[in-house]
Amino acid sequence: MNGIHDMGGVHGYGPIDREEDEPVFHHAWEGKALALARVGLAGGHFDLDEFRHAMERIAPVQYLSISYYERWLEGTLMMLDAKGVVSAEEFQTRLDELSKSSGGGA
Amino acid sequence: MKITRDVVLGLYKNTGTARVDADVAASFKVGDIIQARIINPTGHTRLPRYVRGKQGRIATDHGVFKFADSLARGGGNQPQHLYSVRFDARELWGGDAKPQDCLYIDLWDDYLERAE
Repeated sequence: MNGIHDMGGVHGYGPIDREEDEPVFHHAWEGKALALARVGLAGGHFDLDEFRHAMERIAPVQYLSISYYERWLEGTLMMLDAKGVVSAEEFQTRLDELSKSSGGGA
Repeated sequence: MKITRDVVLGLYKNTGTARVDADVAASFKVGDIIQARIINPTGHTRLPRYVRGKQGRIATDHGVFKFADSLARGGGNQPQHLYSVRFDARELWGGDAKPQDCLYIDLWDDYLERAE
């Protein structure tokens, strides 16, 4: 797919930000996003290349706006929906429930 | 399947290879000059745009591996040889690139054709 992910040779994104003593995860949820993808793969719900292609299909503006592990999460959710494990509607319903129980905070 | 610590450790230790123990003929051998095919599939591919149509040389034959493009569309393993292919930086980026620079990239048999 000739998508936004195929960035080799593309100009204009600025310098690579090299962080001193970079942590494995910058936020706890990133570890959970990684674990969710691994469990989906381990459970045989989707394979690695299908998952990569899911991330490639994230809309270009969104793809560039979100972080590395947000792409993993989006790709995993797309796969879980496509394979009938967790539908997008079920996920949104749960998000709404959690949003209400935490007092409406995002 | 209950996901425990041991299950996860086992997954990391025992999975992750796409190598296939199959007797598949190689279309190319080390030293062959190849050209990356000009393809524009709408599905997944691990052939970047910047090497399509470019000439390189087979540096290593890694052996037989599952083909990612096929797996991504649910098309099965389609096992085939995977090579490390060397491209001169000037072949990829033109005369502004340094003459001593090069790129090694792993490419499957289906991505390659014999150079004219």
